[in-house]
Amino acid sequence: MDEPAVLFERVTFAYPGARGAPALESISLRVDAGQMLAIIGPNGGGKSTLLKIALGLLPGYSGRVEVFGRAPDSARRERLIGYVPQRSEAELHFPVSARQCVLMTACAGVPGWRRTPPKAGAFVDSLLERVGASDFARVPIGELSGGQVQRVLIARALATSPRILALDEPLANIDAAGQRVLSELIRSLHREMGLTVLLVSHDLRTAAGASGASDRVACLRRTLHFHAAPRGITPQVLAEVFQHDLADIFGDLHVDAHRAAECAEPAGHPHQHAGNAGQPHKHAHS
Amino acid sequence: MPVSRINMRTLEYLFGPDRALFLPAVSAAVAVAILCGPLSVFVVLRRLAFVGHGVSHAAFGGIGLAAMLGLIVPGAAASAGYFAVVGAFCLGAAALIAAAGANRRGVSRVGEWREDTLVGVTLVASLAMGALLLHVRARSGPIGTSVESSLFGSIFAVRGADAVAAWIVGIGAGMVLVAARRPLVFWAFDEPAADAFGVSCARMRMLLMVLLGVAVIVAMKLAGVLLATALLVLPGAAAVRLSNRLGAVFVLSVAVALLGVLGGLVLSFEADLPPGPCIVMVLVGLLIVSVAVGIGARSREVG
Repeated sequence: MDEPAVLFERVTFAYPGARGAPALESISLRVDAGQMLAIIGPNGGGKSTLLKIALGLLPGYSGRVEVFGRAPDSARRERLIGYVPQRSEAELHFPVSARQCVLMTACAGVPGWRRTPPKAGAFVDSLLERVGASDFARVPIGELSGGQVQRVLIARALATSPRILALDEPLANIDAAGQRVLSELIRSLHREMGLTVLLVSHDLRTAAGASGASDRVACLRRTLHFHAAPRGITPQVLAEVFQHDLADIFGDLHVDAHRAAECAEPAGHPHQHAGNAGQPHKHAHS
Repeated sequence: MPVSRINMRTLEYLFGPDRALFLPAVSAAVAVAILCGPLSVFVVLRRLAFVGHGVSHAAFGGIGLAAMLGLIVPGAAASAGYFAVVGAFCLGAAALIAAAGANRRGVSRVGEWREDTLVGVTLVASLAMGALLLHVRARSGPIGTSVESSLFGSIFAVRGADAVAAWIVGIGAGMVLVAARRPLVFWAFDEPAADAFGVSCARMRMLLMVLLGVAVIVAMKLAGVLLATALLVLPGAAAVRLSNRLGAVFVLSVAVALLGVLGGLVLSFEADLPPGPCIVMVLVGLLIVSVAVGIGARSREVG
């Protein structure tokens, strides 16, 4: 059997010094090479933390994490994961063009006293074309729209020639048309380049759209509430994971965690870890 | 004052019989500008202006200690000792602040120092310590410097050996900067993602802080404790107004720094004023011009 692209086994992680419940508790999940996993859940549910552990940025977890059979830290050194971070508006007032932004990643290993190799330039241009950013390659990054910036950041992640593409909230703060174009781009990268894709989202609608295209969905709120093929996902699971978000929208809401867990179990499916019957769940109603 | 007499003084100082007194300051100023130009781009883009102030003000404690130890006298050994003491204060402050910034990255969320708090503390602590030591030392005779020249700089404090040291240190630091330019730029552009791309935030932050400390030490005698950081902020601030191309920003920053120090020195010579404030005022003037030019360029783009 092929080694999984990403493997988490009973992973628990708490930020050092943080009191209360750990940020992630007993997470087990598996993503096979070439699969697309959507990790959905509310803000503060531990999605980015999970991604950062896979990226080798947060040591000190318990349990086992492997990226193509390696420890996350050595996977990072081998640049197995291309990372598209959450976009923050504040950092984009930087005097570089879209092309330079990708080029500085492609040339990260080139010593400072050498000029940019022409091969790297051609490679970067091909990446920009692949993500549909050729038209604004020379435009300063601060003048691009949210969707355009996201495409540039995807090209930047691809510049390390990774085997996994990890995207943290790639569709947040982007208009509906831009979201459609971007999800189509992510899907086509997944299909055509054979990339394993990890996609994190907190937005219920985006998550639903993204999960439709995914091989697997992980619903995360500190623990995994669901991890299986998307067709098994039910409104109950979503309601359970997003109960606080839903409570914000609909007010008082009661979700039976046990029933949701039952619904979330598509019989006989491997690698699914639904619910946590032993976990006391907070209910939105008071 | 007739114009001819204004020009006379600078020329007289630089080419007259007393030129040995003035040339070291001019030479050191050029070295300082060439080093501070590119560094200030990082300071502005990474928002480290206040941190730079913390590092430069830390030097005052070192100056106080150097005075106590009798190191502020002519002579190579004393001069080396002076730089060692002041340098230890600047680099110590730089390393301390860099270390505090490094654990801000999300690994430790509780009980950490905030960078600006630490800067505020080191800044006043070092100023107070320097002031007290200089006062105590002054009771037992002349200290070899004045508080004013320590704070605002002096032409005559820069001797030949200082200029040579400025060039050696400036060239060394400049080579480090060139060698590390790619990871430095990546980190400056996207600190939160840098580690994921194999660019160590902690290392880049420490490197830049140490280079800031070095630049401050080199600029110290000329521009003084209070104004040494001007060269680490103003050229970069002006350059980012003038261009949104990274290469151009670095070149413009060096140009602004050079214009600032040379213009400031001419002003200092002509008006017989301390060099630090003159350099800063010229730099401020250049910044205002840059802002105006930047606004003009943008409105032409729109229109």
